Amino acid sequence: MRLVVEGVSKTYRGSLHALRGVEMTMGPGVFGLLGPNGAGKSTLMRILATITRPSAGRVTWNGADIVADPDVLRRVLGYLPQDFGVYPNLSAVEFLEYLAAVKGLGAAAARKRIEELLVLVNLADAARRPLGGYSGGMRQRVGIAQALLNDPQLLIVDEPTAGLDPEERVRFRNLLSELSGERIVLLSTHIVSDIEAVASEIAILDHGELLTHGTPERLLESVAGRTWEVVVPSAELPSLRQKHLVSSIASRSDGVHARVVSAVAPGPAARLLEPSLEDAYLAALWARRGNAAGAAA
Amino acid sequence: MNPVLVIWAMARADFLERVRRYSFFLTLVFAVCLGYAAGTGKILIKLDQYRGVYTSAWIGAMMALVTTFFVGLVGFYIVKNAVDRDRRTGVGQILATTPLSRPVYLLGKLASNFAVLSSMVAVLAVAAVLMQLLAGEDRHFGLWALLSPFLLIALPAMALTAAFALFFETLPVLRGGAGNVVWFFLFSIGIGLPELSGIHWLDPFGLMSVANSMMEAARAVIPGYKNGFSLTVGDTAAQVVDALRWQGVNWTARALTLRLMWTVAAVVVVLFAALFFDRFDPSRSRAAAFQAKPRRRAKSAAAAIVAHAAGGAPAGLVHLTPLAKTAAAPGLRRIFTAELRLALKGLRWWWYAVAAGLLIAQLSTPLLVSRGPLLGAAWIWPVLVWSAMGSREARFDTQQLLFTAAGMLPRQFPALWLSGFSVAVLTGAGAAIRLALAGQTAGLLGWLAGACFIPSLAIALGIWSRSGKFFEALYTVLWYVGPMNHAPGLDFTGSSAGARAPLAAAVYLLLAAALTMVAFAGRARQLRPH
Repeated sequence: MRLVVEGVSKTYRGSLHALRGVEMTMGPGVFGLLGPNGAGKSTLMRILATITRPSAGRVTWNGADIVADPDVLRRVLGYLPQDFGVYPNLSAVEFLEYLAAVKGLGAAAARKRIEELLVLVNLADAARRPLGGYSGGMRQRVGIAQALLNDPQLLIVDEPTAGLDPEERVRFRNLLSELSGERIVLLSTHIVSDIEAVASEIAILDHGELLTHGTPERLLESVAGRTWEVVVPSAELPSLRQKHLVSSIASRSDGVHARVVSAVAPGPAARLLEPSLEDAYLAALWARRGNAAGAAA
Repeated sequence: MNPVLVIWAMARADFLERVRRYSFFLTLVFAVCLGYAAGTGKILIKLDQYRGVYTSAWIGAMMALVTTFFVGLVGFYIVKNAVDRDRRTGVGQILATTPLSRPVYLLGKLASNFAVLSSMVAVLAVAAVLMQLLAGEDRHFGLWALLSPFLLIALPAMALTAAFALFFETLPVLRGGAGNVVWFFLFSIGIGLPELSGIHWLDPFGLMSVANSMMEAARAVIPGYKNGFSLTVGDTAAQVVDALRWQGVNWTARALTLRLMWTVAAVVVVLFAALFFDRFDPSRSRAAAFQAKPRRRAKSAAAAIVAHAAGGAPAGLVHLTPLAKTAAAPGLRRIFTAELRLALKGLRWWWYAVAAGLLIAQLSTPLLVSRGPLLGAAWIWPVLVWSAMGSREARFDTQQLLFTAAGMLPRQFPALWLSGFSVAVLTGAGAAIRLALAGQTAGLLGWLAGACFIPSLAIALGIWSRSGKFFEALYTVLWYVGPMNHAPGLDFTGSSAGARAPLAAAVYLLLAAALTMVAFAGRARQLRPH
C-alpha cells in the first residue's frame, strides 16, 4: 500500500502556480498535511483524489498511474472534500445507501456498514430525517460516514473538522487514529492540534511548495533548543515581533509572556521551553518567508 | 441611505458579475444568431402571403418583435438567477444584515435584469441597422423609425420579463423548475392577451401596436387582403408589395402612455414581489420546513441504528466490520432502484395522485384521446423529475463525492437513463396498453421512441449545461408545439404522424441514441481528472 507523489505541479490559467514540484511518499498511517490557507493543500488533495489533473509530475498508487487509470485508486478511495453538498430530500440512511450502490457495495454489506457508520458519527438519532434540515456539523459527519463506506485503503480528508463542535472533533481524531492501522489516512488542515494527536508523518506546504516532510519527532527536533519564553512589557511586544517569531502570547500581571522561536535567546531573562508542533510549523513558515524576503531584497 | 444610489450600486455589481461570466457571452451569441436569422430572411412578418418593403420602420418593428418574442421568452430563463446567486454564494446573508429594504434590493436586481436583457436588445438594434444597409430595399434611413420600436415595444417588454423573473424567484413555489414551465404558459398568454381579453390595449408585448398599424397600411394598398398578420420562422415565401412602404406606428400620446405603463407595471410587480421575499431568512426556507417536520417512528435500518446507538456511543467503542472482499457488488438493479428513488424522492402525494389520474384516464378514454392529449399531459407532468437528471450532482454539489467512485460510467449512467425511461413508461403506460390492445404496432413504436427520447434529452442537456433549466424550457416548448399542436416532425409521441409513424419513430429512436451518446461523453468528461 503505497502512494507516491513525484514532482507534481499545478498551474491554473493566468499562470497561478498552486503547486510546484511536490514530492512525497505515503504508507499506512496518518499523514498530516499542514499549511496556511491558500498553500495548495486542497489542490493537492483533489489531485490525489483523482478529480484534478496535475500540470506536471505523476501520482502512483501501488505503482499504477492514477491520472491514466483513476479507477485503480477510486476502487479503494474514501474522500471527504472541504466543501460538498447533499441531496436535501434524502435521509442520511438513503443518501448513504445511494452512495454505497454507486461505490459498488453489496446490499447486505452496505446496510450493515451504514448502520455502524451512523452510530460511529453519532447520527443514529437523526438517521431518518431529511438532510435538508441538518446543521453544518451534521452534514460534515454524513461526509465522514460516506468517506468510510467502502472501507477505503486510502482515506483523504480535507479540513474534516471544520464545523464540528469540540466533542465531535475529539471523536473524529480518535476515529482517524483507530482507522490508520490498516490504511493510509491523508489529513489536510491548517489546525495544528488536529494533526498533533494522530499524525505519524507530517508535511508542511506553503505557496504550493513542500517546505518539510517527516515524523513529528523530526519536526520537533528542528526547533529543539530554540523555543523560549520571555516576559516583556506590552509596549515592547511589536519590537520583539519584528526581531523574532512569536508563536503565542499571554498577558499576565508582570507583563506579556511571549513564546518565541529563535536560534538565540530573545532576552537575558528568556528561559528554554519544550517545543511544540505548532512552534515547528510556524518556524518552517517563518524561515520560508524570511528566505523569500531575503531573496527579494 | 439614498435608495437611488443603493439601487445603482446593487445593479452595477450584479450586472458586472453577470457580464464577466462566460454564459453572458453565450447570451450575446444567442442575440447575434437571432439578428442573423432575421437579417437573412429566416424570420419575417407576413401579411397574408405578402410583406412590405424593408423600410427603416418595417425592419425596426420586425426586429423589435423578434426581440420581444424570443428574448422575452428565453431571457426570463437567463436572468432568473439574480436572487438565487446571492442565496447560493452567501452574499444574501451579508446583505440581510444591512439596512437594505426588500423593495430597494429587488429594484436593484430589476435594474440588473433589465440591463442584461437590454444588452441583448442593443445587439438586435445594431443588427437592424445592418439589415437595412444589406437589404438595400429602401435607401432612406430613418433613425427614429428604426429605433423607436426597440425603445417603445421591446424595452417595456424586457422590463416586464425582468420583473416576472424576480417575482418567480421570490415565490418559493415558482422558484424552481415549476416556475420555468409556468413562465412559458404565462408568456404565451401574455402574447395572446389582446385577443383573449378582447381589450386591444392590454398588450404587454406590443404585438397589436405593430399589427394594427401594418394591417391598416396593407388594407389601403393590397386588394383582397384578408387581415392576416404573422411573425413566421423559417418560412421565406413572401411576396414583396412595392406599394407597401410602412412608415411605422403613429406614436400618439395615448400609445406612448400605454407602452410606458408596462414599465410602471414591471416596477409594481417587483414591489408586489417584495411582499413575498424572505430576505434570505433561512427560517422561512425549505430547510426550516425540513427541521420542523415531526419525527416519524423509526423503522427498518434506521430503527436498528437508533436502537444500537442508545444515546450515542463514545468514540472508540464502535468497530467497523471490515468489508469482505467477496461481498457481492451491486447489480444494475440496485443502482437503478437507488436512482429511481432519488428521482422521485420529495414528490408530494398529489403529484402521484395526478399521475395516477392521468394513467387511469389513458386506460379509459378513446384511443385517440388516450395517446394524444392525455399522453401529452402525462409526459409533461414529470418534467421536473426529468430535468433534475444529469444536473443533480452539479446542483447539489455532490460531484466530488460521486465522481471519485470507481465504475461510475458503466454502473450509474445506465441506471440514471433507465430511471428516466421508467418514469416515462410508468406515466404513459396507459396509452401503451391501449395501443398494444388495438394492435397498433407503429403507434406503440412511436410511444417507445418518445419514452426513450425524453430521458435522453433531459440527461444530455443536464450533464452538458449542469442545470435543469435548459431542459425545462426547451422540452416545454417542444411539448407545446409537438404533441399538443402537432407541428410536423416535432411530435415525439408519434400520435400525429399518421402514415409516417414508423419513420417518425425511427427518427426519434435515432435521436435518443445520439443524445444518450452525447450524455455519455459528457459524463465521461466529468469523470476524467481535469
